[in-house]
Formats: sequence, structure tokens, C-alpha cells
Amino acid sequence: MSEMPTKDQVAQELIDAHFDVEPHLVEIWRIVGDNEASPTEPIKLIEVNVATVATGSVTPFAFAPTQEVPFPTVVAEVTPDEFDAVRRDPKRLPNGWRLSNARQFKRSA
Amino acid sequence: MNEADRRQAFADAFAAQGRSDWRVYQYLASLQAPSFPSCHALHYLQMATEKIAKAYRIRDTAADVDDLARHHTGFEEFVNAFFRSPKIRGEYAGKDAALRTLQTNAAALARQIEKLAPAKDRLASPENAEYPWERDERVCRPCEYGYPNLSLLKAHSGRATMNMIARAFSDYETLRIA
Repeated sequence: MSEMPTKDQVAQELIDAHFDVEPHLVEIWRIVGDNEASPTEPIKLIEVNVATVATGSVTPFAFAPTQEVPFPTVVAEVTPDEFDAVRRDPKRLPNGWRLSNARQFKRSA
Repeated sequence: MNEADRRQAFADAFAAQGRSDWRVYQYLASLQAPSFPSCHALHYLQMATEKIAKAYRIRDTAADVDDLARHHTGFEEFVNAFFRSPKIRGEYAGKDAALRTLQTNAAALARQIEKLAPAKDRLASPENAEYPWERDERVCRPCEYGYPNLSLLKAHSGRATMNMIARAFSDYETLRIA
């Protein structure tokens, strides 16, 4: 019987998969929450994408766990301009999300 | 009430009711415990998108209000009109290819979301979010169905389409499709 992957492993696979299929994805920020060790705490990603629809805010969409991604996930897709605005004004982030303890991922060469 | 006021009142009412459906969709989609079969969240997504499409089309086109209010369809047409709107085209100036890709993907997903309404394409595509249907001599239940045609909701094209829907709701007062 195979072991259940860790949340970090699943998050990394998700991030790699998103970079693989989305050529306009610039960078991904994984928000690490205070309660990250809990399996019910979602994997939280901000994806900076030049080819998405600007909403004027950070709009997170939540997904329940699946067989492929056995943790809840929350993904917000923003344009580079929207992300710059978030850096200037972190209050634009959803409740409990902080860039100060986020991890940045860039497309590997 | 004159016809213009009636048109505006119906449009605003569809937008308000659609916003409420959209919030319920977001809430149901984010639930972990208790969680519910995906048909329930998808049902609210279908209702929300149908209503915001009707709101814009009633307000911004000359189509008959009662016809639009009665019929289930219209989200795909709305998606195409949204991406053709001057405001959105202006934001994508010089990025025509990206805009075309977004529009194509969103329209494809919109077709699948529309099919969640039980009255849409009942014979060719009976799978819906609300009532049981028959397929290959089996009676199927929405609460036990996986909705494979909507797996794109979790892909980039799905997230971009969700952003588009969020934008349609948030900018209803200022964005015009015609």
C-alpha cells in the first residue's frame, strides 16, 4: 500500500503541473498559514497570470479534496498588476492570508 | 411602470438574485465538513450564471424581456458578449491571442455549465445538476455523478472563467455588453 503524500509534496506537484500546462503563468505564491500542519487547512495558492481576467481583487476559489489532490485547495488567480496592488496593500488579501510567510515559486528554466 | 423601467428592474433583480446564488455556490464549493455531492454546488453555479447572463442581456440588448426571463439558456452568448465588450477589449489591447484563448475556453466551459440545467438539451445530454436522468438503460442520480465535463473548472481555464464570472457580478453596474 502506498503512503499518503505529504501536503508539501502535493502542493509542489500541483504547482509543477500548473506551470507545465499554463504558459502565461508568471509565478505562484503558496500562502503558509498558522494552522498549516492540519490536514484540513487548505493548500493556498496565488497564481500570477498575464492571461486571466482581472477581478480588481484577490478572488479565491476553493476545491474539495480529490483522489489526485487529497487536500482541500484554494486558488486565486490574479494579473501581475493586481499582484503589485496586493504587495502595496496586503489588506487586499483574503482573511488570514499573509505574503510575509508565503513561498514564491517561479517557472524552472 | 413604463417598459424601460420594467426592463431595468428585471435586469437588476436578476443580478441581485444571481449574486446571491453565486455566494451560495462559493460557500458550498468551499465546504469540507460537512461536504455535499458536487451537484449541489454546480446547481447554484448554473443558476448564478444563468441569472447574471439574463441581467446583462435584459439591460443591454433589445431582446424581449419576457423571452429572456423564461428561457434557461444564454450564458454562452453572454460570455462571448462579455469578451467583446469595449471595456474588456480595452484591457486586452495588444494581447489579442490571450483574449481569444480566454474567450474560447470560457465559452466551452459555459456550454457545459448551461447543460447543468435540466431543461437544456435533455435528449442529447440529459446529465444535469438537479433531476435523475436515463442513460444507456440506467437511471442516474445527480448526487452520485462525477460531472467529468466540468473537471476543467479546476484547470487554469476554469479559474479564468471563474474570475470572469466574479468580474461580471462585481462590475454589473459599470460594464456594458452592448
